Amino acid sequence: MANPSPLRRISLDTWAVLLAFAAALVVRFGIVKSVPW
Amino acid sequence: MSSFAIRTPAPAAAAPAPATPANAAALIPGILLLAVVGYAGKFIEQFIAHYGKTHHLVLPNIEYVLWAILIGLAISNTVGVPAIFRSGVATYEFWLKAGIVLLGARFLLGDVRRLGGLSLVLIAIELVLALTFMTYLGRAFKLKPKLVSLLAVGSSICGVSAIIAAQGAIDADEEDSSYAIAAILLLGALSLFLFPVVGHFLHLSDRAYGLWAGLAVDNTAEATAAGALYSDAAGKVAVLAKTCRNATIGFIVLGYAIYWAGKGQAAEVQNKAAFLWRKFPKFVLGFLLISLLATVGFFTKPQLAAVGNLSRWAFLLTFAGVGLRTNLRELSKQGARPFIVGAVGEIVIALITLGLVFGADHWYHL
Repeated sequence: MANPSPLRRISLDTWAVLLAFAAALVVRFGIVKSVPW
Repeated sequence: MSSFAIRTPAPAAAAPAPATPANAAALIPGILLLAVVGYAGKFIEQFIAHYGKTHHLVLPNIEYVLWAILIGLAISNTVGVPAIFRSGVATYEFWLKAGIVLLGARFLLGDVRRLGGLSLVLIAIELVLALTFMTYLGRAFKLKPKLVSLLAVGSSICGVSAIIAAQGAIDADEEDSSYAIAAILLLGALSLFLFPVVGHFLHLSDRAYGLWAGLAVDNTAEATAAGALYSDAAGKVAVLAKTCRNATIGFIVLGYAIYWAGKGQAAEVQNKAAFLWRKFPKFVLGFLLISLLATVGFFTKPQLAAVGNLSRWAFLLTFAGVGLRTNLRELSKQGARPFIVGAVGEIVIALITLGLVFGADHWYHL
């Protein structure tokens, strides 16, 4: 059986962490200045 | 699909992330539905507050969390969730985990150490009592031994994720895990409405209530929602306590895997360290890292507020998903005995943890 692609080997948990960090960095480096609630 | 309510959490927790644009595109309708339902809840909360203010009326402040869950419940229990939305709705656990990581920005590491340390002590006590009680209760009701293990793991640690992790590790039947998941989800849905009522009746502080919800409500999404229904501060503490509980999944599941392998009814665990890492919820590490960054001043104050709000938006999608994936009729079809064992166990665990929280409040002034 062929090995799954590297993207498929990343767990859902890890994807959630990566997305959260990407969002936090977008805020940290001023790309998004404020997030309303 | 009749099993939607039961099986939805499994792929959401275990399936690999979409790796193709086609897979990702299939998620969009469901994610949009989560956003619409969640935002409708927020809109209703704001509308009622605005209406009360302009008409000089004192109206109860019902949080968007409850509205989002109720709208979701109304949809899933009347017209049902159409197939086109289902895969996207199942991403609510993904948003929950992303939201928990981002919530780390609202905790300084000292708070995490103090509250998390206290939580871990209480969790250790709760785990021993809950696992022992559920095991004896399951045997008394003559449930199948592996179903008893799944119910014990689900009600003592982390609901659905723990049951899915344990199912693979102890070679349990899919039917058993469906029973256990149904019992945990149904009881989780009930606890959403009961916990805030009990908390207000006992005049629990935000911290005490949050700690109780994090220790006693099994599924992470429901624990987060039960905390947020009480107050924003209670929601934060509930997530922290629940995250500490989640961190123990690997150890408990490993213990059960070794127990069943010793009886010759499950595969041997070859590499225990790799097993622990595989079962360890990675979002716990993400939460701690963001909290560390917030503590060392990596973010300015307005940036911390912005990251905190991102976490609120992620939770908004989660709460909509909690309602949308809960089909009460389907859950109640799963048989009475696992549900009775789960319900009796949950009530006892809720009382034990309430006692622990009262004790902690008395000694540590939460």
